[in-house]
Amino acid sequence: MKAAPFAYVRPGSLDDVLAELAGGDAKVLAGGQSLVPVLAMRLGRPATLVDIGSVASLGDLAVTDDVLRVGATVRQRRLERSDEARAVPLIGMVMPFVGHRELRSRGTVCGSIAHADPSAELPAVASCLGATIEVAGTGGRRRVPAAEFFAGAMTTAATAEEVVTGVEFPVARPGEGYGFGEIARRHGDFALAGVVTRVRVDDDGTVLDARLTGFGISDTPVTRDVTALLDDESGIRDLAADVVDTGGDTHGSTGYRRRLFTVLATRELQRARRNARKERP
Amino acid sequence: MEAHELVDVAFSVNGSSVSVSVPPRMHLADALREQLGLTGTHLGCEHGVCGMCTILVDGDAARACLLFAVQCEGAEIVTVEGLGSPERQHPLQEAFSHHHGLQCGFCTPGMLMSSYDLLANAPDHAGDDELPEQMSGVLCRCTGYRGILAAVSDVHGTHPDGVPGPRNCATRTLVGRGSGPASSQAPSGDVPADEVRAAAPAEVRIPTGAPSATVLVTSELRSPIAAVWEVVSDVSRLVACLPGAELTETLPGDRYRGRAGVALGPVKLSFEGLAQILDRDADAHRIRLVGQGRDTGGSATQADIRLHAEPGPDGGTVLRAEADLFLSGRIAQFGRALAGDVSRRLFEQFASAVDESARTGAVPDVRVAAPSPVRIAAGAVADAVRRRVRALRARLRRR
Repeated sequence: MKAAPFAYVRPGSLDDVLAELAGGDAKVLAGGQSLVPVLAMRLGRPATLVDIGSVASLGDLAVTDDVLRVGATVRQRRLERSDEARAVPLIGMVMPFVGHRELRSRGTVCGSIAHADPSAELPAVASCLGATIEVAGTGGRRRVPAAEFFAGAMTTAATAEEVVTGVEFPVARPGEGYGFGEIARRHGDFALAGVVTRVRVDDDGTVLDARLTGFGISDTPVTRDVTALLDDESGIRDLAADVVDTGGDTHGSTGYRRRLFTVLATRELQRARRNARKERP
Repeated sequence: MEAHELVDVAFSVNGSSVSVSVPPRMHLADALREQLGLTGTHLGCEHGVCGMCTILVDGDAARACLLFAVQCEGAEIVTVEGLGSPERQHPLQEAFSHHHGLQCGFCTPGMLMSSYDLLANAPDHAGDDELPEQMSGVLCRCTGYRGILAAVSDVHGTHPDGVPGPRNCATRTLVGRGSGPASSQAPSGDVPADEVRAAAPAEVRIPTGAPSATVLVTSELRSPIAAVWEVVSDVSRLVACLPGAELTETLPGDRYRGRAGVALGPVKLSFEGLAQILDRDADAHRIRLVGQGRDTGGSATQADIRLHAEPGPDGGTVLRAEADLFLSGRIAQFGRALAGDVSRRLFEQFASAVDESARTGAVPDVRVAAPSPVRIAAGAVADAVRRRVRALRARLRRR
């Protein structure tokens, strides 16, 4: 399948990117691993692709005491291999499940977030950790919390004339543990259902709070405080009935996805609790 | 660039610097296949699911169908053609063969490039427990998985810290299949751009890498060596003796433009080409010439030919022709054996035409004196079939 014809531009600066996007009917091309299939299947026919690959200022990857900042053109595989990523252990747990190696070579971290596929792993990680997404438009830059960024299936708080310039993941704190699990038809494919968990414990191992993000189960990643549900299996079943609202398809019914969610949530919350204790000396 | 405009993109493929002119929407796999004739990169789904088109971009495996060629300016690309040659296979290729890691073979290029990336870049994740997941990016649809995994596991065992690099990357001429201009850039860079872009190559390049076929033909001619040498050393007579060939222009530097036709069954190729005499030793009766040609249909051929005449019995001459042939594009798909057969036939016809020209002193009319290319081809095919039948009979007898 071939993409319909489009004009192609590769600006060298962010200002030029924004000027191109302001022209209307343009899409940002970064890694293209989500966008190109859409174009190939002619589900989208933008008049112009604005390749941001030559904007040097968008390639930063840095870690501070508080955040891991990932620029818009940082490829998933670069993050996966980087020392910086160790500051956010969940990244290391999740990356092997983001597409396949061949896709992570080109796909970008911010591209996955900007694409906002409800079955994708990185938007769920951003939601669970409370990441901040930085967006630039001709009107200036703004920082959007992940909880507000994902507005619907493949819909975000960024407008068509804006570009995601980076994402900031909070670095891990002592006493935090994580879990991740997904069920997919084939390793690397989009999940039928998946969960990301984060549990915090104090010095005594007492749970301070627990968060869970489900993905592939609704039109956006769904994040809940599940501190009260850690040892409450029927409570998790009720949660599944509440948050799994995606319809059935050929790969699984709604009921099957609720069952997957329940099993994964129970398992990954316990894993996060175990990890959290290990992190506390 | 507007949607209808062609964009010039320069990158490196298997060690050669190339440039292609592509519409923005052309993905890299199509550019490799259609413009550069590198049809080893297969296309299955064209939307990133099947992995048939997996190649290396700047050292990492990537889907060539999810990457527009215009994005690849300056990239270093390695395709399955660069991984190894038939004579010098990569250890992965040998292992796939050994473990029968292919059945229909359609996914093989993708599997090879994906597994190369795994063993070269992430060998720590190539253990048997992780292998099925790591190889899940390429789909096999004919159930060859077990053999494929066994092959990759085997190579991982023999090269635990990473596999050797690609074995067939070298500067060579890449010519496309006619859907758009493509050119290899001369490494010296002193060839004017418009000349490089011309339909026929402007610079004769000495081929490197393993030839597609090597031909050695020794013919006994009745004519004395002086007369034979007179024909061989006179380019216009030399070309006239080659069936289907025609000299169109003589250029400075012992270079010659011409065309040659080859027909093989339903295939008809007409090459526009350039040849250069590199070495001419009148005392030893040796001549070496290189030639390259390109068919409008997108096949390309290069040849490095050495002719050597020696005094033969009864005052005759022994003419030895040795040629390394380099084929790419559609013609390469005919297989090395057949290419060799056709070429051998051509040289045999050539030798007899030289003999005739030496005897009569005339320039032979190849259209009359030599059989048509079609018949040459048919003869070669018949020969090949006969040989195969003979081999089969021999095998049956041994049982």
